[in-house]
Amino acid sequence: MAATTSMMRCGEFKTSYAKDTTIFPTPMSRNFAILAVLLLLIAPLQIGDFQFLSRYQINLLIQIGYYSIAALGLNILVGCTGQISLGHAAFFGFGAFSSAWLSNNTGIPVFFTIPLAGLMTTAVGLIFGVPAARIKGLYLAIATFASQFILEDFFARADWFTGGSAGAMAMPFTLFGHELSGDRSYFYVVLAYLVVMFICGANLLRSRDGRAFVAVRDHYLSAEVMGINLTKYRILSFGVASFFAGIGGALYGHYLGYVSAEGFSILLSIQFLGMIIIGGLGSVMGTIMGTAFMVLLPEVMEFGASGLSGVAPGLTDGLAFLKEAAIGLAIILFLIFEPDGLAHRWKMTKAYWKLYPFSY
Amino acid sequence: MGKRMLLGAAAVAVLVGGTAQAAEKIAVGHLADYTGATSSVGKIYGQGVADAMAYINKNGGLAGAELAYETVDYSYEVPRAISTYKKWTGDDKVAAIQGWGTGDTEALVSFVAKDKIPYFSGSYSGHLTDPNGKNVKAAPYNFFYGPSYSDGCRALVEWAGEDWKAKGGSGKPKFVHMGDNHPYPNAPKAACAAYAKDKGFDVLEPIQYSLKPGDFKAQCLSLKDSAANYAYLANTAGSTISLLKSCETVGVNTQFMGNVWGIDETSMKAAGEAATGMVWVVGSATWQDDAPGMKLVREISKMSDPSGQEYRAVHYMRGICSVYYMKEAMEIAKQSGKVTGEAIKQAMYQKKDWVPAGLEGVCLPSGWTPDDHRGTTQVLVYQADTKGGKTDMKKVYTANIPRNPEWLGQ
Repeated sequence: MAATTSMMRCGEFKTSYAKDTTIFPTPMSRNFAILAVLLLLIAPLQIGDFQFLSRYQINLLIQIGYYSIAALGLNILVGCTGQISLGHAAFFGFGAFSSAWLSNNTGIPVFFTIPLAGLMTTAVGLIFGVPAARIKGLYLAIATFASQFILEDFFARADWFTGGSAGAMAMPFTLFGHELSGDRSYFYVVLAYLVVMFICGANLLRSRDGRAFVAVRDHYLSAEVMGINLTKYRILSFGVASFFAGIGGALYGHYLGYVSAEGFSILLSIQFLGMIIIGGLGSVMGTIMGTAFMVLLPEVMEFGASGLSGVAPGLTDGLAFLKEAAIGLAIILFLIFEPDGLAHRWKMTKAYWKLYPFSY
Repeated sequence: MGKRMLLGAAAVAVLVGGTAQAAEKIAVGHLADYTGATSSVGKIYGQGVADAMAYINKNGGLAGAELAYETVDYSYEVPRAISTYKKWTGDDKVAAIQGWGTGDTEALVSFVAKDKIPYFSGSYSGHLTDPNGKNVKAAPYNFFYGPSYSDGCRALVEWAGEDWKAKGGSGKPKFVHMGDNHPYPNAPKAACAAYAKDKGFDVLEPIQYSLKPGDFKAQCLSLKDSAANYAYLANTAGSTISLLKSCETVGVNTQFMGNVWGIDETSMKAAGEAATGMVWVVGSATWQDDAPGMKLVREISKMSDPSGQEYRAVHYMRGICSVYYMKEAMEIAKQSGKVTGEAIKQAMYQKKDWVPAGLEGVCLPSGWTPDDHRGTTQVLVYQADTKGGKTDMKKVYTANIPRNPEWLGQ
């Protein structure tokens, strides 16, 4: 795992196993992470007419937030456990519908329905993960593909749960009777979940279960010989992935205020895979990087195309096509030139500057 | 030298134009489907909306104020429509929106009510006609030009009843609803089935077929087995073409009846002889008509087709009507102050059964009241004739559906 070994300065070395498995390899990297969260805390502030970020930029950050949470789940499943899922968008959708249904029908405040939706999605994910106990590789991919279609059809027909083809309204997030529905306030809800879920995800990988996941991925036969219950860990991995997808989906549902069956197609499942491949399989930080890349790429394309529209007027007409093509192209280029993802590229960049000017 | 002069003149024109534009702007959002499941008709309607707004701006705007409109193609995906809406209600709020599909419009009902933004949809779902929520969820800021889908379907049922008598059919005619499991085809399903039952039809189990064009022979076989006499096609034209062709292959004898988006001249051509005899709802004058208002329509058409040669299918005119009702309401609002969403909504109620100036004979006289957002309940039924490569159509029936209070919102 070249991608996860970190570069350390001369004289820094680890003397215990605990030190080797800390989330942040150096105090510096921890301080940077804390600083980033602090900066994000002030980002949506608006003082009079002054604002750090426009509402649209906040909207993009929120998107990165809820997609990252779901993508982290998929990364644990695909990058860490070596399984495959083509149905992640359906679990993301199930979380959104569950939270909307719970808050609309049971009177439970949205504050609690989001984690509950995560648990409901976990249950569904465990069921759909059962085939993983028996099948691997491409066969598993097709089995998870089925979960995508079964759930999508369920969304369109289960009137009692999803509102059927008409969709479901999702109530705004409230905290102590205060409604957090605008972008600027909902940002904090997503940020809080992002921090908590990422700490959970990173810690999971440091635990016994996390190491079991990696063992299953690296060599399932040896893992079994070592006493790891393959069936248990493969299915558990689907459950964990679904939990993250459910939380991400619920945040998405309450952000839009409306959940529609159409939003969770196979295309989104593929995009989730794209996020983790671009970010770096098996890398927690890479997940955020990959998601940010996937969310921002179409925006950058749009910005570039509208800038060029004066020179080449035909460009804006083909914009929709360009956006989709760019995402496909990005995945291909990453697979060829950077198979370890953005996380690896980031480490290389850091290493370059640490060794500067004596890099070799 | 001559070239330089021209450039200079152009620059001055841009500058002058720029300052005039800077005077006042009324932001309008335009949501269109150019690449999604309903793009076959979405392109025609969207072009009508865009051309009409461009024409208004070119001809002095709204008493000097420019319509600053942004067209967004949302591919008929509800989540994209909602995120676009969020963008439009962010830092600069739009005064009104020209929308499109039923799924997104119905999803946005409570958003536009909260934000007080009049929403002129391409969806004529009956659910949008109840501003006070007497029968269904209140939709106080939703408007649309044309007969609701439910009223359109009721008119087709009336026509079918007369057709059955004229053809000397005995017993109960069989009626079936066909469409996707989607908010748009579902909108008139219950209301129309109830009406058909009242009118003495035997209402069969609905048959489902996709909004996306495909092969529908399986559905045509079910239709053939059901021996339905009249089938109401609730999808849009692209899907209708596929269905008509599949059913022609299978050999179905059912009389097809299409919703207002069910077919048009372009798709009649694509469907060929399979479309012959199909009846459908038309909500305005057609391109071949000689109504006085068609002069303005042809001028508007030149905004995107300077040659004036392009044929515009029926949906184009309804797009123009939708913009012009909004325009006149904005003008009334402007006279009494600022063009806000609330003022536009109130202005929509000012006149009774009116036609926007210049569009006489094109738009059906419509009027909205604070209790009833059914603009018009008059339905024109046309029949297609595509024998031997023609794309003819003629009006065969005009229905005036009563404004039954129980039908409000259904």
